[in-house]
Amino acid sequence: MSAARRTGKIVERALVLLALAVFLAPIAWLYTTAFKPGREIFSFPPSLAFTPTWDNFATIFDYFDMPQLVFSSLAIAGGTTLLSLAIGVPAGYALARSGWRGAVWIAYFFLAVRMVPPVATLIPFYILMRDWGLLGTYGAVIVLDTTLNASFVVWMMFSFFRALPQEMEHAALADGCTQFGAFWRVALPLVTPGIVASALLCMMFSWNNFLYPAFLTNIDTKPLSVALLSSFGTIDITWGTMGALSYFATLPVIIIAIVLNRFIVQGLTRGMH
Amino acid sequence: MTVAVGATPVTARHGGMSFVERRRLFLAMLGAPALLYVCAVALWPIAQGVWISLHDYSLLRPDRREFVGLGNYVALLSDDYARRAIVNTLVFTVSAVTIEFVLGFGLALLLWRDSLFNRVATALMLVPIALTPLAVGLVFRALLAADFGLVGYYARVWGISGPRGFFGDPGTAMGAIIFIDVWQWTPLVALILLAGLRALPTDVLEAARADGATAMQRFRIIVVPMMLPSILLALVLRTMEAFKLFDSVFATTRGGPGDGATNVLGFYAVKEGLEFFNVGFASAISNLMLVLVGVLAMAFILVIRRADKKANG
Repeated sequence: MSAARRTGKIVERALVLLALAVFLAPIAWLYTTAFKPGREIFSFPPSLAFTPTWDNFATIFDYFDMPQLVFSSLAIAGGTTLLSLAIGVPAGYALARSGWRGAVWIAYFFLAVRMVPPVATLIPFYILMRDWGLLGTYGAVIVLDTTLNASFVVWMMFSFFRALPQEMEHAALADGCTQFGAFWRVALPLVTPGIVASALLCMMFSWNNFLYPAFLTNIDTKPLSVALLSSFGTIDITWGTMGALSYFATLPVIIIAIVLNRFIVQGLTRGMH
Repeated sequence: MTVAVGATPVTARHGGMSFVERRRLFLAMLGAPALLYVCAVALWPIAQGVWISLHDYSLLRPDRREFVGLGNYVALLSDDYARRAIVNTLVFTVSAVTIEFVLGFGLALLLWRDSLFNRVATALMLVPIALTPLAVGLVFRALLAADFGLVGYYARVWGISGPRGFFGDPGTAMGAIIFIDVWQWTPLVALILLAGLRALPTDVLEAARADGATAMQRFRIIVVPMMLPSILLALVLRTMEAFKLFDSVFATTRGGPGDGATNVLGFYAVKEGLEFFNVGFASAISNLMLVLVGVLAMAFILVIRRADKKANG
């Protein structure tokens, strides 16, 4: 390797490291803040040094009903993901396998639904849920969240099934396999990476969603993303409680994203092809 | 496709229906639930929203609901504060997406070569993407706070920000909101473009290099045209998302400071509708967003089709 190319490579690496530092430093600050005593967070001038403490974790368990927050986030993310996959995967298959010319326009329709500003459906839906007395239920959040996520799953699985050759299904059908069997036992196992990617991204989107649960849940059903906002200001304006709560609200998603990064990257980069 | 199936021996009639008919029925049954669901839970509320937007309707005084025709839209387009929200949304979307695209492309080129170092770096770049946008807003609100923020304090003392910090000054607040968006979504743009780079045929690039094409020529003549689908995906995805901005404004400036310096349509609609309960006016705002998103989507489709025609001669 020539000296010029070696220097080029060092510069490249240095730039990547700089970018990573910019992207990771705020998160590192957030996670260390959880261990800072309230007094030292407001040290003057602000500094990085502190004596670690578990106080902030004790505070959030006092102030919030933590099992409820975790349960709410899991219920909303789990419910949305299951419902979205249950209706989205078969629809993606149907659109990919239909020889009908209009199928691709229906696929575009699902893509368009994903583009709709969430507030456009939220306000009428909020009024409807209020009139029906369903405000504050998990169902209300899951039902509305599923429109966006199911549309995403349809489009993504449409692209995965379209890329899958049909010969295996045809052979199975010719051998007397039922149509459902050809879908369920032949085609579905071959797109497992697509299903995993869809499921992970649905979970990520619905776990991280703030707007819908902020207005559709109540004090007993709010998820972690909504609690995060109240952890910022209501208790002594200490950012330590926000840091502590972040371990629950954000760390699970970050770990899943890093460990299963191949599926996530595939899902994110192919979602609209 | 139906032709291909028809050629196989399974065309025998069964229960009065041909195989092709049964196949169609089966596929329609698989597709119907999602289609019906989306129509019921997305299209129906949107239709309701259009009807609501034609009324002077507040949830605080539900009995005094009055039909005003296009009154809410006239108010929206003639009010300075509302017009500023439209301008803010466009300024934010164009600036954020442009910066994210330029930085993201640079980052993708840096990560192009496949090595363990680059694979680890790519995985770590998922961290900002995986965070809930509300948390990102809160983190930067804390870091940039002029009084106790780790960055904001020094920015104020050294005179980089105004005395009320980046979020407190109408001249810098929008810049701070754009910065937050760039921080969170540049990695996503980089990942999408990186996937496009990785899919490039290496033999073409090698041949061009052997023929003496400079790096700049290879980039302009081979890389960019062949990556057009990834470039469009990144731009479309980010433009649509940036247009709907809500979380980071809600977490930091709440539309302020001053006379709505960071008031974008996505935040304005929620504030009017779900905090002030002026659902008639709020629906007009969100329908204006729908129309603008529709225009954007059409523009993108035209660009994509033109690029497609050009690519296929």
